[in-house]
Amino acid sequence: MKVLSPVAFGLLLTALWWLACGVKGDEIMPTPLDTLYGFVELVESQRLWGDIVASLFRVTWGFLLAAGVGIPLGLVVGWSNRVSVAVNPTIQGLRPISPIAWIPLAIYWFGIGDGAGIFLIFVASFFPITVGTMAAVRGISLVHQRSARNFGVRGLDLFRRVLLPAAMPQIITSLRIALGVAWLVVVAAEMVGMDSGLGYLIMDARNAGARYDLIVATMFVIGAIGIVLDVLIRKLERFDEVRWGYENR
Amino acid sequence: MSRPKVVFEGVSKDFEKDGAPLAVLQDVDLSVGEGEFVCLLGPSGCGKSTLLNIAGGFEAPTRGTVRIDGEPVQGPDARRVFVFQEYGIFPWASVWDNVALGLRHLSSSEQHRIVGETIEMVGLSGFERTYPMELSGGMKQRVEVARALAVSPDVLYMDEPFGALDSLTRLSMRSELIRIWKSRKVTILFVTHDVDESIQLAERVVVFSERPGKIADIVPVDLEHPRDLGSPEYGQIKNRLYGLLGVSHSV
Ligand SMILES: Nc1ncnc2c1ncn2[C@@H]1O[C@H](COP(=O)(O)OP(=O)(O)OP(=O)(O)O)[C@@H](O)[C@H]1O
Ligand SMILES: [Mg+2]
Repeated sequence: MKVLSPVAFGLLLTALWWLACGVKGDEIMPTPLDTLYGFVELVESQRLWGDIVASLFRVTWGFLLAAGVGIPLGLVVGWSNRVSVAVNPTIQGLRPISPIAWIPLAIYWFGIGDGAGIFLIFVASFFPITVGTMAAVRGISLVHQRSARNFGVRGLDLFRRVLLPAAMPQIITSLRIALGVAWLVVVAAEMVGMDSGLGYLIMDARNAGARYDLIVATMFVIGAIGIVLDVLIRKLERFDEVRWGYENR
Repeated sequence: MSRPKVVFEGVSKDFEKDGAPLAVLQDVDLSVGEGEFVCLLGPSGCGKSTLLNIAGGFEAPTRGTVRIDGEPVQGPDARRVFVFQEYGIFPWASVWDNVALGLRHLSSSEQHRIVGETIEMVGLSGFERTYPMELSGGMKQRVEVARALAVSPDVLYMDEPFGALDSLTRLSMRSELIRIWKSRKVTILFVTHDVDESIQLAERVVVFSERPGKIADIVPVDLEHPRDLGSPEYGQIKNRLYGLLGVSHSV
């Protein structure tokens, strides 16, 4: 029963979807079967793979860059009050700006293409990662801070041996959130300002003859890849160095 | 008595509570000899941890000074190691890496020798690669003791280190601690609110009053180790300590 119920629920929703298509009876809304054919068409046209690769490429590089900048920055800002006083207001001020709002500037700076996409993904993932890392460092328990001081751990050693590993479980959680956001944003960005990728595929299917079957099929692909990305990044939670952070939560 | 090692001179501490000062420690004068084992005993909230934190250099006294070897304490120092009330070992590091924390400046062969020896001494051989999460409470506390001993400190500050352990484990940890203390001749300041624990461990028990903590009395325990918990002397000391704490022994 436990194994069956998610499947049963999915089937129920699919049935409702199908039923709704029949009741409404219009030509535009694809049925589940239309969607399946649409998916097959996408796979056979070879086009799908290129668009998947384009989206993943932008997400990967934007995300890695954001982690590469955001984690060290978050560690320093989280640890040092002096740096925090100077830098944190800017971070907090930029954070509420939707990554989507950056699209015009991104295109102006980088042109239509991967550069703008990577930049937008960077913006989208940078804030969750930086802010998450900052919070993690600030939450390091007093006994661990005192242990480090007692044994004279300071400077780079302090970051490497105490701050980074202590913050790691929460950093991984923020990476997970950031990757989720990045995947949302890449599709939006490609719909507006790119000429490849899954978001562009959706826009293209609509503009070239209102192919809603292709649109819905692409939406399923986007969802599936999102799940795969989440599963992959959660593998980080299994390392011995961080497992302690997820116990009793 | 041996040469004074840790000397408290008129140590007082006030904390801020709802805008008003809260006196936690008042005029604590105490001299702990080199190699001595002293227990600080007192009711919960009387300032025992605070006093130890001041000695360890984690907090500054409001008035007074703590001197070690005649030098005023300015901050934490790796020659005097703290064993915390809650676990202070790093959950992200293996037993081996935890014990090696204070040995970073040594050559790797030296580190290897000392860490191996210390882990063996606390009976954790075979668990070098294990992470704290997979250890029992008693084993974690052994790791913390090993981490402290690895740097060969001359003073150990122990803040209810066995408080979270079951009574059997606590008993065996106490006899191990005595064994280690005898072989290392380290000065130990051990905080507890357990009367029996203090009599089993200490050469002198320093009894504190309720907050603001003042020294109510200092009770010597002139019993040879291993101590006979059923002896009349033990019972007398116990009665005296309970009396000082203001609770009657019989329930
Ligand atoms: N950082 C702090 N700020 C304000 N008050 C504090 C602080 N640390 C301790 N106190 C107060 O000082 C008093 C003594 O605390 P302390 O931790 O030294 O007690 P203790 O004797 O170790 O008690 P226990 O046996 O329960 O551990 C308590 O009333 C506590 O609320
Ligand atoms: Mg305490």
